Amino acid sequence: MDLPVKQLRSKAEQDLLDVFSAVNEALPGAENKTVAKIRSDALADYASVGLPHRRVEAWKYTDLRSQMPEAFPLVQASGRAISDAEIETALSPRIAGIDAYRLVVAEGEFRPELSDVTALKEKGAELHSLAETLEHLPEELKPLLAESGYQRSGFEVAPTATKQIPDPIIALNKALMTGGVILRLKQGAALDKPVHLINLDGEGEPSASVTRAIVVLEKGTSLDLIESYASLGGRGLQRNAMTQIVLGESAAIEHSKLQLEDAEAMHLANLIVTMGAEARYNGFQYSLGARLSRNDVRVLFEGEGGTMSFNGAALLKDSQHCDTTMVVEHMVPHCTSRELYKAVLDGDSRGVFQAKVIVAPDAQKTDGKQMGQALLLSQGAEFDTKPELEIFADDVVCGHGATSGQIDEDLLFYLEARGIPEPTARALLIQAFVGEALEQIEDEPVREALTAATADWLGVAFD
Amino acid sequence: MPAVDETVERVREIDVDKYKYGFSTDIEMVKAPRGLSEEIVRFISEKKGEPDWMLEWRLEAYRRWLTMSEPSWANVHYPKIDFQELYYYAAPKSMDKPKSLDEVDPELLATYEKLGIPLSEQKILAGVEDAEYETASGAPGVAVDAVFDSVSVVTTFKKELAKAGVIFCSISEAIREHPELVRKYLGSVVPTSDNFYATLNSAVFSDGSFVYVPEGVRCPMELSTYFRINEKQTGQFERTLIIADKGAYVSYLEGCTAPMRDENQLHAAVVELVALDDAEIKYSTVQNWYPGDAEGKGGVYNFVTKRGDCRGRNSKISWTQVETGSAITWKYPSCILRGDNSRGEFYSVAISNGYQQIDSGTKMVHLGKNTSSRIISKGISAGNSNNTYRGLVSAHRKATNARNFTCCDSLLIGDKCGAHTVPYLEAKNATAIFEHEATTSKISDDQMFYCLQRGLSEEEAVALIVNGFVRDVLQHLPMEFMAETQRLIGISLEGSVG
Repeated sequence: MDLPVKQLRSKAEQDLLDVFSAVNEALPGAENKTVAKIRSDALADYASVGLPHRRVEAWKYTDLRSQMPEAFPLVQASGRAISDAEIETALSPRIAGIDAYRLVVAEGEFRPELSDVTALKEKGAELHSLAETLEHLPEELKPLLAESGYQRSGFEVAPTATKQIPDPIIALNKALMTGGVILRLKQGAALDKPVHLINLDGEGEPSASVTRAIVVLEKGTSLDLIESYASLGGRGLQRNAMTQIVLGESAAIEHSKLQLEDAEAMHLANLIVTMGAEARYNGFQYSLGARLSRNDVRVLFEGEGGTMSFNGAALLKDSQHCDTTMVVEHMVPHCTSRELYKAVLDGDSRGVFQAKVIVAPDAQKTDGKQMGQALLLSQGAEFDTKPELEIFADDVVCGHGATSGQIDEDLLFYLEARGIPEPTARALLIQAFVGEALEQIEDEPVREALTAATADWLGVAFD
Repeated sequence: MPAVDETVERVREIDVDKYKYGFSTDIEMVKAPRGLSEEIVRFISEKKGEPDWMLEWRLEAYRRWLTMSEPSWANVHYPKIDFQELYYYAAPKSMDKPKSLDEVDPELLATYEKLGIPLSEQKILAGVEDAEYETASGAPGVAVDAVFDSVSVVTTFKKELAKAGVIFCSISEAIREHPELVRKYLGSVVPTSDNFYATLNSAVFSDGSFVYVPEGVRCPMELSTYFRINEKQTGQFERTLIIADKGAYVSYLEGCTAPMRDENQLHAAVVELVALDDAEIKYSTVQNWYPGDAEGKGGVYNFVTKRGDCRGRNSKISWTQVETGSAITWKYPSCILRGDNSRGEFYSVAISNGYQQIDSGTKMVHLGKNTSSRIISKGISAGNSNNTYRGLVSAHRKATNARNFTCCDSLLIGDKCGAHTVPYLEAKNATAIFEHEATTSKISDDQMFYCLQRGLSEEEAVALIVNGFVRDVLQHLPMEFMAETQRLIGISLEGSVG
């Protein structure tokens, strides 16, 4: 009983270390000392903590260590052509049909030949392949690539909490990233259409895809960014995707992330948004696919007067598990944050929403509100939520709410009394529930596509 | 608004030294040797004249405690406690044997007198006639169990209560006189292995109150326990066990104070409540341990495990707490809603000022069918303090139609304090309906302007607004403590305005 406990690595944990030793020297940027150092440090960070499990507070409801029996090898890029028809199948015609500049990342690599590179450059956007950039890493990108996702504030008052443990998912992304895109809008650049970043993986043998997207908007620029993730019908996909958005002064972004992978996929995603003064972020995350998905979102207010609105919906069934965990850090005064998250849970699915708002001691006049709501459609479903406020400034208005319940019988009765058949009435109520979050999407084609996708999921066609 | 006037009045009256219970009593004490070991556990058990089964129970807990480590997840920060530096038993020398009221050391009686708790029944009765003490229900006053460091000094109104069949005595006495009840229920709500401090308490608890209300009895008066830490470097480990048998009702109140000392004193209590079919327990706490001085030196570490088990059908447990004292508070009075149709309630006002740290909240665990719970928590932070609400509401697979409403509001006064909210909601049943809302704000300029414009001073305005803010909770306190509490709130916030 008193034997010292030896930390044993699970198979997946060991697999990941093996994957790194196997591919380390062939990864992009292997020749570049700075990049090699970032990678080896990150691997050491990962090795020191292993995969997250339920004893790790932020992963309390998603025990990755037990849910990930093995780690797949990194995908081997074949470079084969991917047809429009394939993209349409993977994303659904509606979403593939959204009029936008396409950027395709497939098999862990940026695919310029499938992307609208020329058109984007003509409009003044600066675009790079991540893999190429890693070979000759410019100094200004180094801090972005080395990002560890550590909490920035809140220690002034609670100094003993300064020791942060590394985020193993970010660490693995740093150690193993193979490709992705870097998009920058310089001052004065303007795009007339959204940019659609399409990520396609998971073909053939089980494989892992580790990619990163970096989007930098300089002062006064704005962008409509759609990120979609889908699988190509193989035998298993483990994805680790990281997106970093840097908003300069008065920059604005409309950001929709659509997760449409197959029912066997594992989706681990990190999003880090840094907000400059008067910057504006309006984001939406739509989770439909994957057996296990985890979306880590960090929003950092670094300049005064920023406005952030984060919304999301998860539609889950069978034994799907979707966890959205976010941390919003108000480090400066006069910023506003809003979160609205909706989960519709059928079968034995499990939805998790954790949202923490931190208001640093100097961040006076902060206005923060968050709401997480779940609709449980079956006895087997489960919703766990933890809305957290950590407030160190007094002149603030912050609030959160959370609700969980089933479809209101009274509302159902009302609709049925008006001659609407029960299945349609239910679907209508669910659609309305999700619709509240969907309404926040400002990009109309995206909003319409997701409204239609929700109806498809419900199996009902509305006129 | 008489309450407001009174608060303001009292705030004015108070000197710089605002903790008025900070005196210490000079009385000869019997102490166990410093430190903790199996011998100390045996020493305490022997002092109490306990049967073998109780000693075994303690030793088992002690051995388990040795294998455990201190919890670190709470949002409180303090230097590591050296558990070998504490005294685990301290009793007034005159209390070697249990005494009747006449034999209690007058020094002790004077101490309680000074604290505003007259122990002589005559005086209490006299107090009842006084309009100030008159209860709304017309109940004849309050029975008190007074605990001084490690022992119960006296329990009043025992005879009157016995007539109704109610057992109200110290837990040591209960272990001797009612072993069948204690054995059946002790540790059945908070098992010895529950957490670090509960396990420590199980090993070394020295006294506390025991209440048994038999089937169908409505306890004829309010019961209360008054805890006083006096001795230096002692830990107080009290254990309270309250059982409401079928259809019984009891309302219980505890109050606590300690002298002002430079060092930190440890208070690690365990409270267990058991409500059987149709029973109701109302448990109120006014916690006013010494909070430390203006620089955050000294004060009581209040690490408490409180849990109620709604074991029977239609049972109800309600916790009401007013937390104004302690340097560090770590407590989560909880309800296990096991019986069908059972109900749990939690009403809390937690006020932190100076360098106080509070991490408090509740757990509502819905297990039975048609169970409901309600949580109202009001946190007020001022000065350099940190105030955290941490709560769990969960509905298990079989808890159909579970219902919860939670509202936790925080008020910040000053720009050096922190207010935090960490609620956990776990719905494993589709028919469960959970609603949670929380807000954090400061007293709004509009509210202040409105009050000032009507001629109130800034201090009066704050007192008015704060009293309004906590009103929902104070309403659930027994009547005679409401006035006292309003006054306490005024004092706790003194110096935070402006």
